[in-house]
Amino acid sequence: MDRREILAERPVERGRGFMPGVSVNPSRLLFTAGLTGRGPDGSLVAGGMAPQARRTFVKQLVYVTDIDAYNASGRAERAKFFGSTRTASTGLVVRRLADPAMLIEVELVIDLAGSAQGKPLLEKYNVEQHGGDFYQGVIVNGGRLLYLAGQVANNPDGSVAGTGDWRRQAEKVYQNIGYVLGAAGATPASVVKETTWVLSIDSWRQHGAPVRRALYKGDYPASTLVEIPGLARGEFLVEIEVIAAVA
Amino acid sequence: MPYSTIATPEAKPVANYKMATRMEGGRLLYISGQVAWDAGGNLVGKGDVRAQARQTFQNLRGVLQAAGGDLGDLMKITTYITKIEDFPAVAEVRREVFPGELPASTLIVVRSLFHPDFLIEVEGVAAV
Repeated sequence: MDRREILAERPVERGRGFMPGVSVNPSRLLFTAGLTGRGPDGSLVAGGMAPQARRTFVKQLVYVTDIDAYNASGRAERAKFFGSTRTASTGLVVRRLADPAMLIEVELVIDLAGSAQGKPLLEKYNVEQHGGDFYQGVIVNGGRLLYLAGQVANNPDGSVAGTGDWRRQAEKVYQNIGYVLGAAGATPASVVKETTWVLSIDSWRQHGAPVRRALYKGDYPASTLVEIPGLARGEFLVEIEVIAAVA
Repeated sequence: MPYSTIATPEAKPVANYKMATRMEGGRLLYISGQVAWDAGGNLVGKGDVRAQARQTFQNLRGVLQAAGGDLGDLMKITTYITKIEDFPAVAEVRREVFPGELPASTLIVVRSLFHPDFLIEVEGVAAV
């Protein structure tokens, strides 16, 4: 394990709950799905995590739906959880999370101890029976990480496939993801983490989720689904970004 | 550069960014979402997305340099804005910052950032 905290030596960075950057030697990394308060006991991370383990956190992304509610009580809970650990961090206020009642969702990248040698490239696991089409955690053992640009429903000539058509856009986005993965020597099974940004979660569940299920065939990544008010072009209904790993 | 660029004629980017990047060595650097704070923690460019974008990318570069890298080491950036009308100005600043091709890139319009005055936030992943 070789985690370094990166400070740019600016006064603004002192005393805040996060680090401007964190770097690691990526021998064994855990990518979590967006974790929510849905667990049986309402806790953020099922099973809890020792303070020592938190020192290996690299990055967090916090999605909230109500910034005032978050500032009133969520922020303190988050600080309590992370203690003195400082991760690289991004915070966003979005329109809706997977369930309209969810107020906060957190996804993490964690540097795991131990050697990657002798282990499969990807270890996918769940810590509870959630019934969703995703794994709660995916561990990458060595290999090369592949970062895709957010994929949208564009044709090679620049036109949009399926204006106003959720199913067609979902098909095109996943087709594009497949092409890019293929060009990098990867397959849908190589996907570690997926973030799906949609203008409507209800429409996505109805029309996009079946396309997604057909692509992954049960071999899902860790995943986050977020509803936001807009994408780069008015025609885009969905944008999906993917992190994969290849040997 | 400890990463390679993935391109395919079957799926092309909608602007001048890389479709994907694959890490080939070095250290993996995650950079926090950067906003238009100056070194003292004061917001630069209240109500001015162009000024905020410039400061934001300058801050992003500062973190890269503190890790021994620079903008060319970025594999992926995510740009969050609060109003789609701001995108043309942001894109213009990004072209100044990345005169060649952008890293792999995602653009998302969020409801807001963690302070109502922030108009843009950019996070990045780099191989340094």
